[in-house]
Amino acid sequence: MTRVVLVRPWVDARAGGGCCGGEVSDGVCLEGTHDTEAVASDPVGEAYRRLRAALPDVDVQVVDAGNTAWLLPSTFRAVRRRAGVAAGLRAAVGSTTAGAVLVDGDRVGDLGDLGPDGVVAAVQRALAATG
Amino acid sequence: MPAIVIAGISGVLFFLGYRYYSAYLQTHVYGCDPAYVTPAHRFTDGVDFVPTNKHVVFGHHFTSVAGAAPIVGPAIAAFWGWGPALAWILVGTIFAAGVHDMGSLAVSVRHGAKNIGTIAHDVISKRARTLFLLIIFFLLTLVNAVFAVVIGNLFVANPGAVIPIFVEIPLAIGIGQYIYRSRSAALVPSLFGVVGLYLLIWVGQEVPIDLTGFADAIGVDNPRNVWVVIMFAYAFIASRLPVWMLLQPRDYINSHQLFIALGVIGLGMLVGWNTIAAPVVNDVPEGSPSIFPFLFITIACGAISGFHSLVASGTTAKQIDKEQDVRHVGYLGAVGEGSLAVGALLAVTAGVAATRADWSSLYPDFATASDGAVGNFVNGVGVFANNLGVPLDLAVIFAAVVVISFAATTMDTGVRLQRYIVQEIAEIAGWQKLARNLTLAGLVAVAVPLAMALLPGGGDAGYTFGVLWQLFGTTNQLTAGLALAVVAVWVTHQGRNPIAVLVPLTFLLVMTSWALIVNLKNFVQADEWVLAPLDAIIFVLAVWLMVEAFLALRRSWGTGTPLEGGTPSDDAGAARATGSGDRAG
Repeated sequence: MTRVVLVRPWVDARAGGGCCGGEVSDGVCLEGTHDTEAVASDPVGEAYRRLRAALPDVDVQVVDAGNTAWLLPSTFRAVRRRAGVAAGLRAAVGSTTAGAVLVDGDRVGDLGDLGPDGVVAAVQRALAATG
Repeated sequence: MPAIVIAGISGVLFFLGYRYYSAYLQTHVYGCDPAYVTPAHRFTDGVDFVPTNKHVVFGHHFTSVAGAAPIVGPAIAAFWGWGPALAWILVGTIFAAGVHDMGSLAVSVRHGAKNIGTIAHDVISKRARTLFLLIIFFLLTLVNAVFAVVIGNLFVANPGAVIPIFVEIPLAIGIGQYIYRSRSAALVPSLFGVVGLYLLIWVGQEVPIDLTGFADAIGVDNPRNVWVVIMFAYAFIASRLPVWMLLQPRDYINSHQLFIALGVIGLGMLVGWNTIAAPVVNDVPEGSPSIFPFLFITIACGAISGFHSLVASGTTAKQIDKEQDVRHVGYLGAVGEGSLAVGALLAVTAGVAATRADWSSLYPDFATASDGAVGNFVNGVGVFANNLGVPLDLAVIFAAVVVISFAATTMDTGVRLQRYIVQEIAEIAGWQKLARNLTLAGLVAVAVPLAMALLPGGGDAGYTFGVLWQLFGTTNQLTAGLALAVVAVWVTHQGRNPIAVLVPLTFLLVMTSWALIVNLKNFVQADEWVLAPLDAIIFVLAVWLMVEAFLALRRSWGTGTPLEGGTPSDDAGAARATGSGDRAG
């Protein structure tokens, strides 16, 4: 199954202080704020929802740029199979670009440049190119 | 015995715990159903609620829970010998932390991915929410206080670490700005940041910063206290910056440091073949704290940490794709933290000293052992790094930089979280001015732990750090106790056997109460009029928790009605979410 990865933009990525610091969230005890308008207009959320609607058979993952424990090996493996070790390493490094849109490890654009509709179009082009 | 053998045995036991016990929990205790539509699917919005691959969620969850806290407890607890400390880390991780972390995640997934405080309100009582807020308030107060003291001690003992740590702040901000503006891959500049940080170790060694003279000039006896004030001033300012500006790039650098430190510990003990110098069970001096109950509150993080329930139920639960994934994410997260604790224990029992006599000189009594615990860890890791060819003096500063980087990030985050808690408590109490004023709430969040770290106590030597640490451990265990009580009530409501949850819950409550009573008696006898009231308040919270848990369990045994998807709490969650929520995968 084709996998699309949306790497969260830098200003949107999550960070924290580890055990007994945890992730910063105002809902640490109660529910915190949940701004429905912000969710509706969030560029990652919008791109995600449109991708799911347009391409229901594609596996879409939203990943933090700091999640290198997953991004690096999974991207490397995906690209190495097709294009070799060097290309796999380059793609793995590129996968940590905040805002990147990856299709099976290959970077097809940036969330900020493409916009939600552009993300769907870029992914469809990439899928068409790979057959 | 070679340390690497202990590491290997621990790894095998953790694997068996994951392979067999977590499978039992998944099937027979939590009843994870592959067909259950998780909140990530029901409320999909692509922002908070996102069905996510379990390996992605694990990466997020583990980096959110792994930090400095599992280092300090084992480094102090080595005082009782490596045997009891290792046994509690292994048994605690496999039979308590795994149950707790996985259970918190499972119960949150079944309650619209709400956090554990809200679920406590729903399944235990309305009062449980207030109890939870109060426990978390004291937990964060003590977290911030103890980490400020840890950093202060390390700066005093390792003045060469001061320049790398303080230059790391503008370095991280610069890297963050570069990544943000150039939209380049974060990996390369953050790796340059790590290299730059380690180059600064050499500068720090050449230009050590010692504040003893300054402290004398302003009439402060202990230079550590000057560092404590500086760190709280830093934390107050840092917590007002946007997360992406400082916290995030430093977190990125720290994540590399975490893997580097784990690699150094593992490879260093393998190459050096260091043997354990500490006794299996230490013959401690008369009058020392006893293993029962104090070992079990000294090692909280690394054996079981209530803080994980906040992370599990806060953000992780919203990303769970299939209910069975709670096993992989929750249980393995606990195992990861336990592995860090084993590494810390081996550093202070095999790395820091080559002979029994050398080791005993570092752990002659509880006060010396606890005050020097983090320094012992730093020196132990320094020895492991030295085994890999790094000069010892640089290696020790390297280890100090790693620990301080983590501790400072925890303080930054802890002060932010405490500010939210202060606002939530003020909201409940009707103190609107405090609830709505960020600066005021931030000042309260800093002032209380600062006072805790600085107020005089413990005679001429000041606080015995271990006592402060034990109070922190107690509140962390109480947080875990509350989460386990919520999980136990839920499991009972499902008509399943809750014994796997009740055993660690009972054990934790007995140990924490016992320790609180013993400490209260000691504090009163020693005229410790800062620690005694604090201990008494935490004891009241513990009793309150026991009463609430007992009443809730008695009610659930009486009814036996399922409490899961479709409850009013889920509907409330649905109302808050924006996504439609059809099952998609």
